[in-house]
Amino acid sequence: MKELKKTNLKDFKESWTFCLHCAGCYYRGPNIPHNWLELPPPEWSPPQRKCPSFEYYYFRAYTASGRGNLAAVVFDDNDFPITDDLIKVVYTCTSCGMCSEICRQFQPLTAIWALREELVQRGAKLPEPLDRIHANIEKSGNIFGARRQPKALEEIPTTGENIYFAGCTARFQQPEVIKATVEVLKTAGMDVACLGDAERCCGFVAGHDGNTALLEQQATENIAAFKKAGAKRVIVSCADCYKTLKIDYPLILGELPFEVVHVAELFAKLIDEKKIRFTHEVKKGVTYHDPCFLGRHGKVYDEPRKVLESIPGIKLIEMERSRRWSYCCGSGAKVISNCYPEFSTAITKERLVEGKQAADTIVTACTSCFNIMDKAVRKQGMELEVCDLSTLVAEAMGIEL
Amino acid sequence: MGIVSDLAEIVGPDRVSTSDAVCLSYAFNCFMGKGIVRKPDIVVMPETAEEVSAILKVANRYKVPVTPKGAVGGAGHGGPLKGGILLDLALMDRIILIDATNMKAVAEAGCSFFKLSQELFKNGLMLPTAAYGPGPSVAASAITPANGFGETRYGANINLVEGFEVVLPSGETIRVGSMAYADSDFGPYYRYITGPDLVGLFTRSNGAFGIVTKVAYRCLHRPAHWAFHSYCWPLEKIEDVTKALMAVTAIEVFDAHLYDKWWLLGMGFTIPDDCHFALTVIVNAENQQELNGKEQSVKDICQTYGGASLPGIAENVHIIWPTYFCLMMAEPPPSAHTPTKKLRRYLYLVDELIYPTSKVPDVYTKVTEICQKHGLWDPPQAAGFDGFTMSPQVICSPIPIALDDSDPDMVERFHKAQGEFREWFGVMGGTFQYRLPPLVPEFVWTNQLSAFALLKSIKAVLDPNNILSPGTFELGEG
Repeated sequence: MKELKKTNLKDFKESWTFCLHCAGCYYRGPNIPHNWLELPPPEWSPPQRKCPSFEYYYFRAYTASGRGNLAAVVFDDNDFPITDDLIKVVYTCTSCGMCSEICRQFQPLTAIWALREELVQRGAKLPEPLDRIHANIEKSGNIFGARRQPKALEEIPTTGENIYFAGCTARFQQPEVIKATVEVLKTAGMDVACLGDAERCCGFVAGHDGNTALLEQQATENIAAFKKAGAKRVIVSCADCYKTLKIDYPLILGELPFEVVHVAELFAKLIDEKKIRFTHEVKKGVTYHDPCFLGRHGKVYDEPRKVLESIPGIKLIEMERSRRWSYCCGSGAKVISNCYPEFSTAITKERLVEGKQAADTIVTACTSCFNIMDKAVRKQGMELEVCDLSTLVAEAMGIEL
Repeated sequence: MGIVSDLAEIVGPDRVSTSDAVCLSYAFNCFMGKGIVRKPDIVVMPETAEEVSAILKVANRYKVPVTPKGAVGGAGHGGPLKGGILLDLALMDRIILIDATNMKAVAEAGCSFFKLSQELFKNGLMLPTAAYGPGPSVAASAITPANGFGETRYGANINLVEGFEVVLPSGETIRVGSMAYADSDFGPYYRYITGPDLVGLFTRSNGAFGIVTKVAYRCLHRPAHWAFHSYCWPLEKIEDVTKALMAVTAIEVFDAHLYDKWWLLGMGFTIPDDCHFALTVIVNAENQQELNGKEQSVKDICQTYGGASLPGIAENVHIIWPTYFCLMMAEPPPSAHTPTKKLRRYLYLVDELIYPTSKVPDVYTKVTEICQKHGLWDPPQAAGFDGFTMSPQVICSPIPIALDDSDPDMVERFHKAQGEFREWFGVMGGTFQYRLPPLVPEFVWTNQLSAFALLKSIKAVLDPNNILSPGTFELGEG
């Protein structure tokens, strides 16, 4: 079985054209057949609603199958007109990866990324405000165009073996996540450093909207900074950064000279080593939202759950769509939340309603997911608490933030 | 007010699109890829039969073609031949009835086989079709044999259909077969009404006589005991493997497939050098004793005709987690990965052939002869033979060929071979399961003209403006 590893046109060309357009990647209902001997095991049974863009926009064009058809046309015709219409279809994919989880043979999401890459290479006008985000990344080193390094990172040394890579969202929108993460790690006895002013956006948005050149540039600069700082382990709080550093960087630049871990993985390890000790009971029923880029893309499912279940008083209740079948939070690789806010809001609402059906608190391990869900809850006045994993861990450790 | 706004009034503006990108995304069919582009002008996604009815009334008013489409895996129909409105039935996906007692199921046109099957399974039932994996929706599979990946010995999907709810071109909704009395106390218990069978009119019709909105199926009890056997024969023993296949399908087996080595190699199996044909057989039973008896019968038959046991094929070829047909098929035959040539797309040489099982040697010999003549058979080209029994002594064979459709010479050779074979097969009296457009729209039928003539007469009465799937039954004209 072939597996596409890189989002380049060569791989796409060789594999995608064999897609049978079976519709399994988006069609409603479980799509794993029985083998006449037994029912499909639950882990092979995807949920009723799979593809966010199909559920919002309805038409086949807004599915992996339809986008694949269009990709085949674009790919084979250098003069194919790149219309706003086409751009909307291509860029309303959330990159959640549900389609590729279902169809491991073709990895249709990879084809969509390849199509985006092709469109960028042909000079297509991207949906607003992606060009601005690219400019921000190039000019300021972060997606927001912010110039000042956040205070939360100022007191942290800039060299060391354990480099905390906070990511754009935490650096400029969630300093409390940075503080919680750093304090938890320090309390667990770790020396934590950061890149300081040298931290640049990981390139996630650029990589997922087709600007792979900018992703490569970010990767090159960040890797140089990690090396300079003496990193042996890079710690991230954001699932988007995790996927980019852990999966994309090695594909672009080869094996990394350091380990990349998500805080959920590190916390689980430190709990095992009894370096994280919980002193405060947190009496909550919580449900865990698997971020797409930590779960489906990064295959990290157990560690965050282990962390939650280790906290005294916490009762973990799963949502109907969890683990590999988790649903997008509405961020949509930050492309959807930035370019198609109404669509994004609809996805977020659907996910929050699902979370509320499970518990009164929804915990996530991604700053992007936390950001979008927390804002939506506040805006809509939902009786649902959204928690970041690090903050919850800090609370259970009795750390005052 | 134009047609688009009229349609938007029926289903809401969100479910009508004239977007070029949206329309283009429907203009494909797997195995044919972008080579056959027939783009609709408008795509509409109805959610109810009432909406379908209103859409057809509008289409009649404007005299605009309407073609239905579900989730079509494998072959089956692609985009509309004459443009116009494409009805995407994906949102009509409810399961209406699972009657475990009477072993019946009713689902909306867009409900996928995998969704329906899952519910049936929970109730101890099954549809004895192999079309679970690729996920063609229920009506798409009934109006076209859309699964494309083989049936069991219980026949094609349509053999399991007992009733339809159909919206006629006029917009009138009718119910035929068991659906005619589905709402009565007895429920949809039997295909036949007091009178002629009308279910057949809508099967494999590509929606030309009406838009199917609900489908009633008869289901089978799912036995608890299953066994898998496979045997192989060398090329020169083609007569013997055919006899074994016929003998096996004459008894009560669940499935029997005949593969040639190219197909097996394409699926990644390692086979002995002298294995050219493999016969795979699946049997099931209510208890172990019954299963033992069936297994012994299969062994006796295969050994009588000189088959050598080939373990590990039958139990792996279709049905092991997490693979399913389309994923298995997705990997092209090994010869498609030649270092010199990237073969990018499957095209069916002859769609899928339906013919008497006894004629396997003739068909196989002819296929190989023609394909070899045009350089399309042996590696580095990539073709393969699959034969699956549709019922005792009737077999269906898909002959996919992987080719580089950007290579005009290869495509031309393919079309020449295709034409030659179709001509021979048509004269022989064969039928194509996937004869529906746009797979072979250029083919002129000669062996069933009187039946086509009657269908055209019925079509003229039911659809005087020829709005439904126009082009479908213009094929019979010589």
